[in-house]
Amino acid sequence: MSAEPDVIRKCMWPVCLMGLFVTGILSLDCNLLNVHLRRVTWKNLSLLRRMSKSFPIECLRESKAFELPQEILSHTQPLTRDIKEAFYEMSRQAFHIFIQDTFKSTWEEKHLRQVQIGLDQQLQYLEQCLEEEEENEDMREVAEDERTQSGTPVPQLRNLELRRYFNRIDRFLKDKKYSHCAWEIVRVEIRRCFYFFNKFTALLRRK
Amino acid sequence: MLALLGATTLMLVTGAPWVLPAASGGTNLKSPENGRVCIIDDNFILQWNSSRESVRNVTFSAEYKIPGMDNWKKLPGCQHITSTECNFSSVKLKNVYEKIELRIRAEKGNSTSQWHEVKPFIPFQEAQIGPLDVHLEAEDKAIVINVSPPGTKDSIMWAMDHSSFIYSLVIWKNSSRLEERTETVYSRDKIYNLSPETTYCLKVKAELRSPRRVGFYSPVYCINTTEKHKVPSPENIRIDAKNQVYVLQWDYARENTTFRAQWSHEFLKRIPGSHSDKWKQIPNCEDVKTTRCVIPQNAFPEGIHRIRVQASNGNSTSFWSEEKIFNTEMKTVIFPPVISMKSVNDDSLHVSIGAPKESENKSVNQPYPLIYEVIFWENTSNAERKVVEKRTDVTFPNLKPLTVYCVKARAFTENGKWNKSSVFSATVCEKTKPGNTSKTWLIAGICTALFSIIVIIYVVKVLLRCINYVFFPSSKPPSTVDEYFSEWPVRNLLLSTSEEQTERCSIIENANTITVIEETNPIEDHKKYNSQTSQDSGNYSNEDENSESKISEELLEQETV
Repeated sequence: MSAEPDVIRKCMWPVCLMGLFVTGILSLDCNLLNVHLRRVTWKNLSLLRRMSKSFPIECLRESKAFELPQEILSHTQPLTRDIKEAFYEMSRQAFHIFIQDTFKSTWEEKHLRQVQIGLDQQLQYLEQCLEEEEENEDMREVAEDERTQSGTPVPQLRNLELRRYFNRIDRFLKDKKYSHCAWEIVRVEIRRCFYFFNKFTALLRRK
Repeated sequence: MLALLGATTLMLVTGAPWVLPAASGGTNLKSPENGRVCIIDDNFILQWNSSRESVRNVTFSAEYKIPGMDNWKKLPGCQHITSTECNFSSVKLKNVYEKIELRIRAEKGNSTSQWHEVKPFIPFQEAQIGPLDVHLEAEDKAIVINVSPPGTKDSIMWAMDHSSFIYSLVIWKNSSRLEERTETVYSRDKIYNLSPETTYCLKVKAELRSPRRVGFYSPVYCINTTEKHKVPSPENIRIDAKNQVYVLQWDYARENTTFRAQWSHEFLKRIPGSHSDKWKQIPNCEDVKTTRCVIPQNAFPEGIHRIRVQASNGNSTSFWSEEKIFNTEMKTVIFPPVISMKSVNDDSLHVSIGAPKESENKSVNQPYPLIYEVIFWENTSNAERKVVEKRTDVTFPNLKPLTVYCVKARAFTENGKWNKSSVFSATVCEKTKPGNTSKTWLIAGICTALFSIIVIIYVVKVLLRCINYVFFPSSKPPSTVDEYFSEWPVRNLLLSTSEEQTERCSIIENANTITVIEETNPIEDHKKYNSQTSQDSGNYSNEDENSESKISEELLEQETV
């Protein structure tokens, strides 16, 4: 009967498509990592919240506006890579702040360790993805050309704004000589920063 | 006179600008050109080119301005410089991310040139990574490398990148340059898989990931690895999560050895400086005689850690083994998903993948995104179709009708560092619907319906006709009768069945009395007979009818009497 070859022929197309789909799935490994990233960011946020029982009221008068540069990611169509780079920069700077072991008395070491571990995890995920993207050197150059033509801010400027922001936080800590209040204010500020960035993990997943 | 005075004043006025510079002393000084900065770590160097006229006794001075300053300030270290370069690192910049403006001018005696403005720059963007400080320690099969980050500890330039540097090194055997290895290491790291008693040479360069910046290679450092240690280090460390514990295992060739294992946080690797005091002893893994130990899961906090094992034979201890990175996330168990399948059409099956369940009622909170591997096959054959899906609904089209197909699935999460998958779920089998059934039945049904409707209409029509025929007869004659009988009265006579037409008749004479009269007077009788007959002849037809009725009347009378 001629029925069987027809069936086989009919099955070939979906199998071929599945094959393409599978390779597509495997190359989307980094998008999976970004879902992990969202989870880790959220975990870090809750760790930061739980580090201290409540914000001491006496520290309110010392608080300072650090001016988180919201415009860096408020651009209409930030590229996935730009979001990742900004996220990486932010995570790195936050990690840098929290490994300065001058606050042994401010928080419980257990909580501090957890925050440090969590931030390191965040960094590891991002490093993996950024490394994979760097392998496509040609594509990056093309993208950069496109970006400068369209007038969107160059990533260096974006990262520079972030650095200036974290530099303000760093100098604030140094000026206040790493006091308990200074640390509490910085903790709240970093939380605010994380909330802002967490919104953009959704964008990463879509792309 | 007046005109002369006016002319001289005019000349003086116009001549003044020319005269004054001459009074200040000599030729115009040309301002320096091509001012540029060269920043390496915290060393700020300003360079420029003097104008073509190589005039002696010319010095240069510079000024700077940063945002927040109204006036230009003298640049320390760059005042009255005779050469064309100066070092202004003593400017304690608080913020290397702010734009700085610089300007230089030439001076000679009292005269100065115009200011030459250097293009404003951000120090951090112009900074280059300077030389590195490298310390090496040799073991028998490994080299411990300790690189200090660029700049000093109080570096302003790299203050925020202290923990972000990674180091790319190239190592080779001194004997053969061909066997080169490139590795990326942290500030304090180990290079493994080396041969004992060999001279190795290496060079290191520092890298920043973002912004992407690469330093220059350091000078080459060479070191000899030691001779092979009496007590070898454990090898092939592996850790696995089972039930509620971690099982740590390693390989060791010799007997009669005790081991101990230590762990440390992975993030400490990023922080430069020695952390030899940050290793902690793993419980249940101190002085163990076997090459494995079982660790409770609460011994490690959540996160990524490193483990190292050391062997000891009583007298001496080995070098530490290669550090194994492990992620506590590996202990999460992924449960198999719950699948169900139903046949949609005659040629496709729809599979829906449900959330994994630990037991009958308990559903598991799965924090990771899962991919599902679905295996689909025809029950009789062994040909399996494997599909990897992210969605929880899969449809398999183009199947054979009335065939049993089976499906099973497993969930897994794919991470760059470790794969974790669940066991396969239970196999679910389902049969596809018969082929073309729906279409055939549909068509047949429609046809039957139409046919039956027609039949019913016809039957109803016939019934109605019968009913009309019986209960409501029509008064019209059939058409054939119409043809033959065109005269109206006869037709009327024949056809009028509805009413009997009767003529009113009266009896003249009875038939019995007529015979008696004929014997007595035959002539008179003839006359009477004729008259009678003539009278009768006109009435015969009626009489017949009347006699019939008369006889019946007589009979009736006789009966009554």
